[in-house]
Amino acid sequence: MASNTLTLTMTVASEPAQSASDLELARAAAAGSSAAFEKLYEQHHRRVYSLCLRMLGNTSQAEDLTQEVFLQVYKKIGSFRGESAFTTWLHRLTVNQVLMHFRRRGVKLEHTSEEGDFANVVETPLQSTRRISMVDRLALEKAISQLPPGYRTAFVLHDVEGYEHEEIAKMLGVTIGTSKSQLHKARMRLRELLTKKIAATGE
Amino acid sequence: MLCNECQELISEYIDGAVELGEQVKVERHLADCEPCRAVRDDFLQIVHFSHQLPEHAPATALWPRIRAGVAELQPRLWSRPIRWWAGLRTLNFNLSVPQIAAGAAALVIVISIGVIVTQRENRSFQPIDGKVQQADVVPLSNVDVQQLEKRINSLSRSVEERKNSWDPELRTTFERNLYYIDQSLTECRHQLKDNPADDVSQELMLNAYREKVRLLEGFEKF
Repeated sequence: MASNTLTLTMTVASEPAQSASDLELARAAAAGSSAAFEKLYEQHHRRVYSLCLRMLGNTSQAEDLTQEVFLQVYKKIGSFRGESAFTTWLHRLTVNQVLMHFRRRGVKLEHTSEEGDFANVVETPLQSTRRISMVDRLALEKAISQLPPGYRTAFVLHDVEGYEHEEIAKMLGVTIGTSKSQLHKARMRLRELLTKKIAATGE
Repeated sequence: MLCNECQELISEYIDGAVELGEQVKVERHLADCEPCRAVRDDFLQIVHFSHQLPEHAPATALWPRIRAGVAELQPRLWSRPIRWWAGLRTLNFNLSVPQIAAGAAALVIVISIGVIVTQRENRSFQPIDGKVQQADVVPLSNVDVQQLEKRINSLSRSVEERKNSWDPELRTTFERNLYYIDQSLTECRHQLKDNPADDVSQELMLNAYREKVRLLEGFEKF
């Protein structure tokens, strides 16, 4: 029974197929076509901005980072060889920009003692799936934005963007165990935040 | 298994990353513990919803900001020929071979186009009974095209293998020049499709093919 549920929930956001137009646009942009670059922006800016927003939790910073990402795309488009999907290349470039942003600001992505551990959850059946499922996506987005940066980064990269722990560990320069631990604590904190939201709204 | 032990493993359990022995223990505990089942179900919900979060759009003013940022970058890129010119004036060259090859390729194409366009204009003033000097116009035969395309294909394969080790700037320089040559070839093909006897387009095409060979030969060494 449990294994059936697991199969459903382990579906990771799939990578869109390589778009021929992306590759053509990237080559044209590399050759100096501003129209091609603008088209790339039109096609991908929402995805880039959404990733920045979820990792940073702040619209103003997310816009600044999106701008920085596309300026980097403009500078580096010549290095895109088409061996991977353009979206994969762009996605990785975006994550790197956000991580550099964190480093420049001295944001610690590893667990710190002030973030605290979670006590063992012992609760009544009232805090059930049925109640959590009433939480809308906006509430989940808000709760994600309230996570500490380290938890949020691990959660967004794994649960929203579909990266594996090995990839996250490499990107963040941490151990796989740390990545798993951050993700677990992020989910725990989200659950706590969403439960409080339900209690506050009286749903 | 205690609740805290179960909940420590619950994330890895729902991700399918616990070992079989631990999985059995977790499942036994979950079968008897409603609070831990609630944690599992809530985690499943969170993960499920996280996969389906919608994309957001930034303010519409962002694109003008990016466009302005790109415009600021462009003069820096365009300033390179000025540095080359400064080097020429002081006889202090600091050019890489690809830069020279790319510059030469672009220069030859421009000169070829200029010469051919001039020829075409001059030809319109030739008297009907005058002897037009056709000797300098090289007709483009199928054999020429096949040989050049064979050479280009061979060089392209070699360049493709080497491109992985190039730095982005070198790759951009190469691809930009290749793009211009290919554009020229495409235009010639269109012209020749409309008028296969157009000797000017034939010559222009021959020159473009030769420039492509020279460009690829120049970059094959890197």
